[in-house]
Amino acid sequence: MKMKKLMVMAMTMVMAAALAGCGGTGNGDAAEGDSANKDIPVIGISQFAQHASLDNCRIGFLEGLEASGLKEGKDYIIDYQNAGFDPNVAQQIAQSFSAKNVSLMCGIATISATSCYAAAEDKDIPVIFNAITDPVEAKLDSGNVTGISDKLPIEEQLKLIRKIQPEAKSIGILYTTSEPNSVAAIREYEEKGPSYGFKVETIGVTQQSEVIQAAENLIAKKVDCFTNITDNTVVGVLPSILEKTNDAGIPVYGSEIEQVKLGCVASAGIEYVALGRKTGEMAAKILKGEAKASEMPYETVKDFETYINSEALAAMNIEVPADVAETAMDVAKEA
Amino acid sequence: MNEFLELCVGTITQGFIYALLSYGVYITYKILDFPDLTVDGSFPLGAAVTGVLLVKGVNPYLTLLAALAVGAMAGFMTGYIHVRLKVRDLLAGIITMTALFSINLQIAGSNLAVDRGIDTIFSVVPGMQDIPLLYRKFVVSLVLAVGMKFVLDWYMKTKNGLLLRAVGDNETLVTTLAKDKGTVKIIGLVIANALVALSGAVVCQEQRAFSSTMGTGQVVFGLATVIIGTTLFRKMSFFKATSAVLIGSILYKFCIQIAISLGLPANLLKLVTAVLFLIVLVLGNRQKGGADHA
Repeated sequence: MKMKKLMVMAMTMVMAAALAGCGGTGNGDAAEGDSANKDIPVIGISQFAQHASLDNCRIGFLEGLEASGLKEGKDYIIDYQNAGFDPNVAQQIAQSFSAKNVSLMCGIATISATSCYAAAEDKDIPVIFNAITDPVEAKLDSGNVTGISDKLPIEEQLKLIRKIQPEAKSIGILYTTSEPNSVAAIREYEEKGPSYGFKVETIGVTQQSEVIQAAENLIAKKVDCFTNITDNTVVGVLPSILEKTNDAGIPVYGSEIEQVKLGCVASAGIEYVALGRKTGEMAAKILKGEAKASEMPYETVKDFETYINSEALAAMNIEVPADVAETAMDVAKEA
Repeated sequence: MNEFLELCVGTITQGFIYALLSYGVYITYKILDFPDLTVDGSFPLGAAVTGVLLVKGVNPYLTLLAALAVGAMAGFMTGYIHVRLKVRDLLAGIITMTALFSINLQIAGSNLAVDRGIDTIFSVVPGMQDIPLLYRKFVVSLVLAVGMKFVLDWYMKTKNGLLLRAVGDNETLVTTLAKDKGTVKIIGLVIANALVALSGAVVCQEQRAFSSTMGTGQVVFGLATVIIGTTLFRKMSFFKATSAVLIGSILYKFCIQIAISLGLPANLLKLVTAVLFLIVLVLGNRQKGGADHA
């Protein structure tokens, strides 16, 4: 009998903890006096993982909101959640946004964005996505959803590599077979590489622990350089890749600025803060009631910046061609 | 209060859907004493098959049967590799799981989205069209999880089910009964992975998406729910193990939901979840300790 009582007590405590936890959400994160905050729209940000590019998407998003004249705490409240690479958590985050009736969801990376869109189905909450290469394939091209595609400027990158390494014959690329963004980028590299005189060597991995082994494999194939795509799994261990390639004297080209900061030699790439800023502006329009997500077509980046890391280039004994040096931003000097 | 209710309903719904997976893990881990890693592959397998069939316009309920069938095949693979090819249990599961990763990619590609225009088991519920989707999801998943619980409870009482339980406890007994213990093991794995794939199929319909990485960590989830459930309700004999596992699954999802809802920095999510699990387990043990001294 005593056992039963204790059992009931234990269960009550668990449920009480659950109540306390869930009850807290009613007020939103920044809430103090809940009645005053009831009318402030909540923006739920669901980010798939912790890494610099995705963080930049979020930072840009917040900047875009501010730049549009909205003030956090007055015009909107942010509820930011990170799934830590776990699709099931992304799903629960999206579902909790829906239950909390947030005014808008922002999904960063494909899985988070599709989860948000699925959770918003019945309530028709507008969703803004970021860091998705192919919104059409992700079925995020119509409905109450819009955002920005981060499709890589692959031709620009090939031209840049050709300028910096006129003698190079082959490019090595690592990618994750399960990332659709990566598979699409690889296909494009294989299509366009030969017309710039490159043989494209690729190795697909299934998980992060295999990346370094694959990198060693590419090095053994004596590729003239590596180039990165926006592959979350591979980019996540970029420092370890760079350690290997630096030892082998092989330059690595990045796909966006953060990678160049980490030690890639150059990149014709996207700058996720700028991308994020655009999504922030979109969100502001929706919050102000100036436009609807369903009426805004998704955008694709058109302007690309060239980034170089003069220190990394010097370590590889590569001299930067004058025309590249003129237009490119040198992250080593900026820092 | 409305959003609190919705949050709870949504979380319990998740618990129901993933409970199907937990039943599977319960069968292999608790009954057969078989650490089955196939789960990480058979879960997305069910989702992949369902996703592709849905896009092709197949009736959403029929896709569930298809998922059960392919999951059963995956379980059979592991069973065959272990029993007939004499590969160690852990390794047999790893082999199937690894193979399934590629197979899933072949079936559905790396990601697959199911358009909102396509009907799922949640959008076409007879007589429930006026009820909000959230509650429809709740009812459908409740019926699936509780229905499957009763089916399993019934099965465990049949002769076949009793043999299954015997294999985990006492293999020699099964042999003395002139039954092949290997075959019984294979049957157990087949049932378990059929359930896991069914869970994946329901998740795919609920999410309208398949991703090849969705299986990662499902074994861990399954084990955690089984352990939470069976630890908490160990001393309650009137409580069926299947019910315990079902509640374990709901509690697990609540732990994550609380962690999300606490509003702590997003990077602390996993830490908070881990602490909550610990609290649940410690509370469960307390209750057991108290009972021992009573």
